[in-house]
Amino acid sequence: MKRHIIACIKSVMLEAPSGRAVRTSETCDLNPFDRPSLAVALHLRQVLKGTVTAVSMGPDACGFVLRDALAMGADRGILLSDPAFAGSDTLATTAVLAAAVKKLAPFDVLLFGTRTSDSDTGQVGPQTAVLLNLPMVTDARFIETGPLGLRVSRSADGFFETFDLSFPAALTIHPASVEPADPGLSGIAAAYDTARVEKWTLKDLGLTARQVGSMGSPTRVVSLTRVKRERKCEMISGAAEEQAEVLLQKLIKTGAVGQ
Amino acid sequence: MIPKDLILATESVKGMDGFLSDKHRSVRRSVRSFCAREIAPIAKEIDQEALFPWAVVEKMGRLGYFGIQVPPQYSGAGLDTVSYIIIIEEVSRACASLGLCLSVHNSVAVYPILAFADEEQKKRWLPPLARGEKIGAFCLTEPNAGSDAAGIEATAIRNGDAYIVNANKVFVTNGGIADICLMFVRTDPSAGRKGISVVVAERGAPGFVVGELEDLCGVRSNPVNSIRLYDCNVPAHNLLGKEGMGLPIGLAALDAGRIGIAAQAVGIAQAAMDESVQYVKQRHQFGVSLGKHQMIQSMIADMSTQIDAARLMVYRAAVLRDAGKPISEAAAKAKLFASEVSTQVTDLAVQIHGGYGYSRAYPVERYYRDARVTRIYEGTSEIHRIVIARSVLGV
Repeated sequence: MKRHIIACIKSVMLEAPSGRAVRTSETCDLNPFDRPSLAVALHLRQVLKGTVTAVSMGPDACGFVLRDALAMGADRGILLSDPAFAGSDTLATTAVLAAAVKKLAPFDVLLFGTRTSDSDTGQVGPQTAVLLNLPMVTDARFIETGPLGLRVSRSADGFFETFDLSFPAALTIHPASVEPADPGLSGIAAAYDTARVEKWTLKDLGLTARQVGSMGSPTRVVSLTRVKRERKCEMISGAAEEQAEVLLQKLIKTGAVGQ
Repeated sequence: MIPKDLILATESVKGMDGFLSDKHRSVRRSVRSFCAREIAPIAKEIDQEALFPWAVVEKMGRLGYFGIQVPPQYSGAGLDTVSYIIIIEEVSRACASLGLCLSVHNSVAVYPILAFADEEQKKRWLPPLARGEKIGAFCLTEPNAGSDAAGIEATAIRNGDAYIVNANKVFVTNGGIADICLMFVRTDPSAGRKGISVVVAERGAPGFVVGELEDLCGVRSNPVNSIRLYDCNVPAHNLLGKEGMGLPIGLAALDAGRIGIAAQAVGIAQAAMDESVQYVKQRHQFGVSLGKHQMIQSMIADMSTQIDAARLMVYRAAVLRDAGKPISEAAAKAKLFASEVSTQVTDLAVQIHGGYGYSRAYPVERYYRDARVTRIYEGTSEIHRIVIARSVLGV
C-alpha cells in the first residue's frame, strides 16, 4: 500500500529591513528546522513506498519554500494563501493547516519541524495533531518502520523513550535526526521550470474568516522589542569549598538550580 | 531582452540582489549552504597541503555543479548563465581553487563542446562531464604562446583516421585531474592563425603525459600541471568543429570563461570583505572597535562599493549572454574590473587585519594570494584593455 506523507513547512523571516516585515524570497528562507522534517519525509517515502506532499501557509511571495521542497524531491507542493490568513497566531495557523490536512486525507504520516527560527513557539505541530486527534511524538530522534507502522524514539531528560505508532500519526522531527540533504541543481531547475505549486484559499479549505487571521487569533501582539543579552563576569574568591558554596547560593538565587 | 525569470523586486535591499529571480535565489541558498558545510571547513587545509578534495568534488558532481548549463538530455542541470555565476561566486567565496576548477570545467571545457561538437561527440563527452565523473581542461598556453594564442607550436598531423599530436601545454588548470582536454594544435603549419584547430585528447591515451604540478602562490588546491602529448594518437572524430576553427572556438570559450573568472574574483573579494567586517567589529584599538575608526570605515566603504560594482558588471555580462547578445566587451570589462577589485579588496583586508592578516592563522592571506592570479589567467588585464579599447574605438 502506498503511504501518504505530509510535511508542513514554513517560510521564516531572515531580516526585517527598517523594522518592516516584508516577505519575499530575499527576506525569507525555508525554516531550517523544517529541512530535517522534509528529509525524513523523503526517507520515509523511500522506505514505505509512498508520496510526499509539502504544505505551507504564507503569502504568495513565500511559495518559493514549496519550490525548495519540490527541488528536494517532494511530489506535490500546496500553498495555503489568502489575505484572510494575515495576522494568524499559532491557533489560527493550526486551524488552517488542519483543514488542509483533512482535505489531503487519506494520509499516514504528518510531519513538522520542532520549531521555527523566527517566532519559535514550537506550538503549531502539537496543536495540529490535537485538532486532528492524531497520536504525536515530539522531538522524534530515530524514526523507523515498526510492527504497528512506525517505531519512533526520542530523548527526554537524558533517557530514550520508544513508541510504536499506527498510521496515521504525527511527529515533530529533532534537527539531529537526519543528515541534511542538498537539493541538486537539476531538482531546483525542475521545481521552477516544470513543477506546479497549487494554491488553496480560505474558500478551498471550507473555513470562515472568523476562524483564521487576526479574527481567529486570541493572541494579541502588543509590541516587539529587541532583547539585549548581557553577560557579566564575576570572580569568586576564597578556598575551593567556599567558592563552591557561594556559587551554589548564587545559582539558587537566580533560579538556575532548585533548592 | 531580459530573461523572463529575472524580476525586479520593488523594495530596496541591502543584498543588492533585487533583480534575481526566486529560482536564482534558490540556487544561491542551496550552494551557499553546501559550501558552508562542506567546503569552507576544509579550505585552509587543502590550500596549505595543495590537496584536491575528491570527496567533496564527488558530492558537487552529484549535485550538478559540473554541468550547470548543460541541457538535461546530456545529464546537466540546464540552468542559465546568471545561475552559473552565482554558483562560481559562492564556491569561490569558500574556496577559490574549487571555484576555478568549476569555472574552467563548465566554461572553457564543457561550453565549447556544447557549442561546437557534433551530436555523437556531445553524447560521448557531455554526460560524464556534466555528472563530474570526468573533469575537463583547456590546453592553450605553451612555453612560447599564451596571450599570443596564434603563436602555438603544438602540432596534429593527420594520419588515416587519427591525428598524431605533439604538444607541450603548460599552466593547465585542472591539468593533474583532467580526463577530457581541449588541445589547441596546428593542423596546418603553413596557414598561420587559420591553421589552428581543437582536438580532444583523453587522459590515458598512449603518449598522453601529465607533467609536473606547478607550485603556485595561490589557488593551490587546484592541480595546475603541464600536459604533454608525445606522438599521441587522437582519433580524427575527436576534432571539435572543423580544421582551422581553433581560434574562433578558443575566443568563444574565453568569453564564457571570463565571466566565470570575474565571478570567482568577486567571490574571493566578498570572502575578504566578510572576514574584515567581522574582524573590525571584534578587534579593539584605542578603546574602541576598529570599525569606529574613520580610516577603517573608509576602507570598508571602498571595499563594499567596489565589490557591488564588480558584481553588477558580472551580472550584466551574464544577463547579456542569456539574452543571446554579444558579450565580448561586457565580459572583458567585467573580468578586468572584478579581478582588479579582487586584488585591491584582498590587499585592504590584509591591511585591516594588520599582522594577523599576514599570518596563516587568518584566511585573508589566502584570499590575497588567490586573488592575484585572477588578473593573469583567462586573459591578462592588459589583454582585456586591448579587447575593450578595440571594441570601443572600433579598430
